[in-house]
Amino acid sequence: MAEVAYLGVRHHGPGSARRVLARLNALQPGSVLIEGPSDLSDLLPALARPEMKPPVALLAYAEKTPESAVFWPMAEYSPEYQAALWALEHGAALRFIDLPVAQRFEPSPAGQEGDDPDAEAEPSAPVLATPRTQDPFSILGRLAGYEDGESFWNDLFETDGRAESFEAIDSAIDALRESEELTPFEARREAHMRLEIAKEAKAARAPVAVICGAWHVPALRAKHAAKADRDLLKGIKKEKIKASWAPWTSPRLAQASGYGAGVQAPKWYEHLWRAGDAGAADARWAVRIVRAMRDAGHVVSTASAIEVIRLAHALAALRQRPRPGFEELREASIACLSFGETLPWREIEGDLLLGSDVGRTPDDLPLAPLLDDLAREQKRTKLKPEAMDRELSLDLRTQSGLARSTLLHRLAALNVPWGRPQGAGRSRGTFRENWVLRWEPEFAVELVEKLVYGVTIQSAASALLTEKINSETRLAPLSDLTFTALTTQTPTAVSAAIARMSDIASRTDDCAALLSAVPSLVETIRYGQAREVDTETLTRIATQMITQAAIALPYAARGLDAEEAQRYFEMLPEAQRAMNLAELDADIADVWRRALETVSEQDASTPLVAGVATRICYESDYLSDDMTALRVTRAISPGVAISDAAGFFEGFFTGAGQRLIHDSALRRVVDAWLCALDEDEYIAHLPLMRRVFSGMDKNERRELLDRIMGRGGAAAQFELAPNADEAWAARLPGLLRILNKEAADA
Amino acid sequence: MTDQMRRPAEVEWASEIAALRADDGPRPEGWAMTPKAVVTYLLGGEAPDGSKISPKYIGSRRLMETAVATLATDRALLLLGVPGTAKSWVSEHLAAAIAGDSTMVIQCTAGTDENQIRYGWNYAQLLAHGPSQDALVPTPLYRAMQTGRLCRLEELTRMGSDVQDTLITVLSEKMLPVPELNSAVYAKRGFNVIATANNRDKGVNDLSAALKRRFNVVVLPLPDDMDEEVRIITKRVGEMAHSLDLPAPGDISAEVQKVVTIFREMRSGETLDGKAKIKTSSGNLSTAEAIAVMVGGLSQAAWFGEGGVGAEDLAPSILGAVIKDPVQDKVALEEYLETTLKKRRDFAGYYATLNELL
Repeated sequence: MAEVAYLGVRHHGPGSARRVLARLNALQPGSVLIEGPSDLSDLLPALARPEMKPPVALLAYAEKTPESAVFWPMAEYSPEYQAALWALEHGAALRFIDLPVAQRFEPSPAGQEGDDPDAEAEPSAPVLATPRTQDPFSILGRLAGYEDGESFWNDLFETDGRAESFEAIDSAIDALRESEELTPFEARREAHMRLEIAKEAKAARAPVAVICGAWHVPALRAKHAAKADRDLLKGIKKEKIKASWAPWTSPRLAQASGYGAGVQAPKWYEHLWRAGDAGAADARWAVRIVRAMRDAGHVVSTASAIEVIRLAHALAALRQRPRPGFEELREASIACLSFGETLPWREIEGDLLLGSDVGRTPDDLPLAPLLDDLAREQKRTKLKPEAMDRELSLDLRTQSGLARSTLLHRLAALNVPWGRPQGAGRSRGTFRENWVLRWEPEFAVELVEKLVYGVTIQSAASALLTEKINSETRLAPLSDLTFTALTTQTPTAVSAAIARMSDIASRTDDCAALLSAVPSLVETIRYGQAREVDTETLTRIATQMITQAAIALPYAARGLDAEEAQRYFEMLPEAQRAMNLAELDADIADVWRRALETVSEQDASTPLVAGVATRICYESDYLSDDMTALRVTRAISPGVAISDAAGFFEGFFTGAGQRLIHDSALRRVVDAWLCALDEDEYIAHLPLMRRVFSGMDKNERRELLDRIMGRGGAAAQFELAPNADEAWAARLPGLLRILNKEAADA
Repeated sequence: MTDQMRRPAEVEWASEIAALRADDGPRPEGWAMTPKAVVTYLLGGEAPDGSKISPKYIGSRRLMETAVATLATDRALLLLGVPGTAKSWVSEHLAAAIAGDSTMVIQCTAGTDENQIRYGWNYAQLLAHGPSQDALVPTPLYRAMQTGRLCRLEELTRMGSDVQDTLITVLSEKMLPVPELNSAVYAKRGFNVIATANNRDKGVNDLSAALKRRFNVVVLPLPDDMDEEVRIITKRVGEMAHSLDLPAPGDISAEVQKVVTIFREMRSGETLDGKAKIKTSSGNLSTAEAIAVMVGGLSQAAWFGEGGVGAEDLAPSILGAVIKDPVQDKVALEEYLETTLKKRRDFAGYYATLNELL
């Protein structure tokens, strides 16, 4: 029987890693056993390959249900990683001893990892191998008067790397475990580890080192009958699994990313690991802070960096901690560098503490779960990849049509445009979609790269969309992204989009931004309604945005320059159309209507916008015919500057020249205005008239002329001037010249 | 019983300070108690002899620790915050706990000149005997340096920038030259400066970058917790109504709750349940302002109303507090009324009155 040394560690603790190395060097074990799924031991040697750069993660999933993948992330400072490297370097036997992944997918009591019984539900983030659901060190820390377990562990075990503290940890855990109930899953894991350790100890001659979470040490040390352990493990079904190394990112080592065994600040831990116990470690960190602040555009002197370190040390002394942690350095930075304001700190915090490192794995490690998933999906939806164009028409009311559409939308979201949507724009209200399919070889490469986002097409699309949504700051694109999230059926992304939109909408002052997002949002709601998606929240946001836009509109319509006015001129009818489609509550519709009326009525409105608002009011029967005529008369009456009157005229009549055919009151108003123009002004505004009337077709123009001349039964309002024939003849050559020249040019 | 209207902190809380001084842990030179004991004094807890220490400041422990740790180095402390966030209160208690003396105060105003910061002269002496130590009139700062105590500067940014910069030599070199006597005052260990300033106020001067660099800054926030804020306001309003001889208000906590809800939502930019975002007002809507709104409403109700304070009495003051910018804030309030208050039945009175006033 060889000697067995139990090295209890905290996952991703740099202090633990250092102590493990010191202990391994002293012990010179012949075999190193690590807490990790025993059926993945074959993957361990790859860690020593030069192309392997942490952070990386062991990735495993059941062939049948790839959405329940499990990851075991490892950072440069993870004790497990350092121990594995040590073993590979020193030629020691190296194995994982924990329950095999193959036995983790069996449906079993809740609260355990790798288990997603509800196949319909969207798998959230990939499941991460979390050693424990509760943090025992929080309990210990509170007993010791610490606010959280993290800093407690840091101070006691991490920051000073003494080898003998392993024993101290063990006795503490021993006491803790007494009050904790072991879940059946945990019990099975520990049984498996005990059996593996016993097997190794029996065979080995040199000492055996076991590297596992500190929590497990007392259980592994304890004497258990091998038979009892074997009984525990009996009858667990085995799944076929696939496993490999996958690149990981430093932000996803953080607790905030939902990784239970994560650390608070991955980059700080990396700093602790690399800087070691050297006295200059704090200075090095302070310099990083200062540099990040300078990069963010703040003026920060070296003298201030010195003050940061001094204050951090004073704080650590006050809190009776052996040396400043990143919290002390953070608070000192806020007080000394950003004058008490937390905002500048938050700007740099993400990059400083979480970083943006992406690990690397050797290219020849064969694993592309997304391609596997695609193959599965293709089989399910009966779609074959072909290298030539093929048209596909889908009826979304059928199961198969919807499944195919969803797959194509998801792939498109992953930047794999296997199918290109056809038809004019996005026909959101309809149940039919037309696609042209064509598979390109580079799509496979895209899919392999997207592994960082997830292991199934759905989860990757969801994660990628969520990321995009959270970095988008403009409303209109967000509204589009919401639609994409709906079509890809990724609820997480949908809720992210909704939250983000609500957030940004409430803060924006820009009426134009709100208005421009409304039409596509309304269509998204209609799309959702057609597909039985819960659109209540979306409706609430739309209502909120419309209310906001309505309140802002009368102010926004004032004093616009030509370009901005043009934007509103185009946007308002669009928005109005959306409002009509949206079937708004009466009171919201009323707020919107009042806003349009105010814009139409107030003198301060930019004439072009006032014109278009008046037209909308008129067309939607908010204004009576008489009122409209009065409004138009007023806006283009002689007292109004010609350019303003022309602006209003253009806003009111563009695309609505037909109005003149049917509304005699309006005709008279326009006639009066035109007659009041002197010749120069009249010529100057000819292009404007042309714009207004070019929207009418030949018949409409003829009808208008008939009405004006009183032909075809209409009461005549106008007569030709007494000697019109002569005047006409005199002008004819000039007119012909113009027409001919135009013809020649054409 | 004393006939003094208000006693300084070190007298009022003398027994607590004495109990905490018993902790004989290591302490910076010139300090009356350990830094940890100072934090306990501020936030409440237990003295080594087991006696209770009442909390003086309710809020973030980390902020208080940063403040105390700053004073333990030789850096000066600047407490920033909107009115009504207990800056002066904290400053007074820090001085009382650390130096046992909170009375060395200079109230900085636009009229403060260098003589009130450095030292002045007794002109009768000066004319009779010429410049001498006897003719010199020390300021609180001067005396704090001589005795190794804390000097408090209230509303630092209200005095002119040129006068502020007098402090630079004092803070960096810990000495105050007296060229008239060809001498200087050297600060005794334990000396330091606590300044307070308003970061959202009109009519203040900027801190020069040189001076700013010599301060560690702690920003005191508005209360985090809604109930806490309601309690503070209800208590203060009761006290103020009494001193203004207003008829004793009945149970006003329901109205306070509503005013605080409006204030908190418009200042944090989201509804209390966090479900919807809201535009913020440029008014700072501090606890102190909520108190003013309530007192204003009480007074209106007492002299012009029919007893009982309600939306009609409070709305005008709320409007005044929220709308500081006639366009932006008006839009923000309109939006808030339409998107948020309108849906809440119990705010119907506020919705109607505020809408009417807008």
